[in-house]
Amino acid sequence: MSRPSNSLLLGRGVRLAGVAAFVVGVAILPRFLSDFRASEFARVGIFFIALIGLNILTGYTGQISLGHGAFMALGGYTSALLIAGRPGLELAQLDPPDWIPVGNGMKDIWTIPIAAFVAGLFGFLVGLPALRLRGLYLALATFALAVSLPIVLREPEELTGGTNGLNLFGTTDDRLTGALDNAVHIPVLDRDITFNDWTYYLVWTTALIGLAIAWFVLRGRSGRAFKAIRDSEVAAASSGVSLASYKTLAFGISAAYAGAAGALFAIVSTIVSPGSFPVFLSIQLLIGVVIAGLGSLGGLVFGALFLYYLPVGIQELSEVGRLPDGLQDAAKSPGMPSVIYGVVLILVLFVLPRGAAGFLRRLLSPLTNRL
Amino acid sequence: MRRTGVLIGVIGVFAAALALALPAAHGRETADPGITRTSILIGGTTPLSGVASAYASVARGAEAYFKYVNARGGVNGREITYKYLDDQYNASITVQQTRQLVQQDQVFAIFNSLGTEHNLAIRDYLNSIRVPQIFAATGARTFGADFRKYPWTIGYQPSYTGETAIYGRWIQKNKKNARIAILYQNDDYGKELINGLRKGLGPMSSRIVMTQGYEVTATDIQSQIARLKTSRANTFMIFATPRYSIQSFIYANRLGWKPRIFVNSVASASNLMEIASDAGHNKRVNGTMSIQFLKDPTDSTRWAGDAGMKLYRQVMKKYLPRGNANDVFHVYSMASAFSFVEALRKAGKNPTRSGVMAALAKLDSKKNPFLIPGVTVKTGRADRFPIEQVQLTRWTVNRKGDGRWVRFGPLQRVPS
Repeated sequence: MSRPSNSLLLGRGVRLAGVAAFVVGVAILPRFLSDFRASEFARVGIFFIALIGLNILTGYTGQISLGHGAFMALGGYTSALLIAGRPGLELAQLDPPDWIPVGNGMKDIWTIPIAAFVAGLFGFLVGLPALRLRGLYLALATFALAVSLPIVLREPEELTGGTNGLNLFGTTDDRLTGALDNAVHIPVLDRDITFNDWTYYLVWTTALIGLAIAWFVLRGRSGRAFKAIRDSEVAAASSGVSLASYKTLAFGISAAYAGAAGALFAIVSTIVSPGSFPVFLSIQLLIGVVIAGLGSLGGLVFGALFLYYLPVGIQELSEVGRLPDGLQDAAKSPGMPSVIYGVVLILVLFVLPRGAAGFLRRLLSPLTNRL
Repeated sequence: MRRTGVLIGVIGVFAAALALALPAAHGRETADPGITRTSILIGGTTPLSGVASAYASVARGAEAYFKYVNARGGVNGREITYKYLDDQYNASITVQQTRQLVQQDQVFAIFNSLGTEHNLAIRDYLNSIRVPQIFAATGARTFGADFRKYPWTIGYQPSYTGETAIYGRWIQKNKKNARIAILYQNDDYGKELINGLRKGLGPMSSRIVMTQGYEVTATDIQSQIARLKTSRANTFMIFATPRYSIQSFIYANRLGWKPRIFVNSVASASNLMEIASDAGHNKRVNGTMSIQFLKDPTDSTRWAGDAGMKLYRQVMKKYLPRGNANDVFHVYSMASAFSFVEALRKAGKNPTRSGVMAALAKLDSKKNPFLIPGVTVKTGRADRFPIEQVQLTRWTVNRKGDGRWVRFGPLQRVPS
């Protein structure tokens, strides 16, 4: 990341301009999108948030996690339970044990920080045993988490609704903003927007806040400590960086992001079920971080777009009339989507070995290095 | 200090852009979307990839049948377009795609979406915006039983509880010495099947000596079968989905366990049985019992001259040439598509969503060529189970070693 000092100023200018352009772009995008596309971009934003978190852990601190889907599941269930509350759960004919503090139903947006906190705490606890594990072993341990948590969440059926999960639609009145009547009133502007636009702004506002927090965390002392751990644990420890506290901190922070993403997932999908957080989700997130470029915030949007749109795009390929007949049948054959997914992934990594961020840096380097 | 300034600036820019950008709510109350004078668009979700991709045929058969109908002028001059999306058997994707179908593609109705959990996930949504959820491809009882709460939803096939109740009754009558072991999918689907069996067994429920569940995500169920074998049961119930029913037969054979086997109809298609029988090497498959309400495409001797099966083969050949014509799921989905077309005709020259729902609530047709003779597709004021008659059937192997389902006994009414 180090650059000659004379380019520092311009580098910062380019970056600030980039951030401003990004923010404005996010804000005005729905103008140019159909209502449904806005909901798709909300889902892209959810991936984006989870990727910010995972990137702090994997990209900056060098700890591989294949378990972030589990943190998302935890955040999602936390949020869904709080939104539904006891009245909502009873409407859904569930009967949560009395000692569990699900409350009486909470407005959806307030559950996001709580879900982030719960997942973060859990991530911190997971980070403790992770201190003893490195590289592949850590990946395996976190993978076990991704495999087991959905099943664990399913078991207390009277609380989590078993395999069918929790359906927020219709059990939560107006606690789930705008889902029922498809209109959300924005008091400051005195306007109504649709549910899909609402989810878009909710997700991306959260994402920008998350991005700002990540930026603050990473540019200061802890960011340096994270990177030192990634580059060499021995060197970091001998320079006085506490491995234990920074590793668990990284785990906690990144799990909190995944938790917030999970909460938004619950709000946007209006449902959480064990099947919504498959093992593949965790793998996907790691793929997303690698595609984005490890250890950089710039490429994450591309990672998120890739994660969301690659499967959708492959599916659209198989729709009638998009391909010549012979290929059409091939694209429809079972398993083909997965094959295409794999091939595209390999190609992308081949062309962009350092991810989208590396590519961006290369593009901008003439600008930032010239002076 | 400088950082804070930058941050405030960024937030300010965002807020300003937001104020400029917020679009007004789009009104979307138009008279029944998805239908024009020449077309009708319906949509649904089906797993085309992933663990349950065997069900892809449930969408493709219906699509082929609609193409056939369209080639003959459609329904009252309207061509039916059926857009189905791959939800990978993941309910949150089902929700997302159903929203896409309703909001972006503006479908007239959701048709033939597959899976219990998946149909449950979209039922509240569809009912609140009054979009029909037609012939949900699941036998969960709630889709027929709870129509008062969900008037825009209707299922199609016999209920799971009803099906297994029939097995229970048969055992109670014919096999007093049964010791029953059950393999079930560890979710509502599997549990509903077990409940039905208990109901049918009545006082004989205590003869269930062991149950073993497997997870939907499991890749292998050998250990479950091994454990079930240790129960020394003489009757083995497979309440599973296709992939696992095949494994059950194979492992039971390998382990030398020789119970009388029952397999629920969702997992008993003859093409699956053929795979399980391993070209006649696996004798465990012989004598397996199940139920049927669809004509079995592999049973060419029985249906040689049958007009319905001729039509089926013709549609497969012309509109789904690459599909496996022996896959009974294709028959299922054509039956479902046939009934949908009937309901659409019944709803008049200019069908509305509510008109179609009304027509679906008074179906009474013996004409469905894909169902075994005598099965009536019938609904009524207090009955939203379109198919309620089934026949017991047994996998029978001839001297050459070719197996097929042979139905026996009378057509039975499924207890609901």
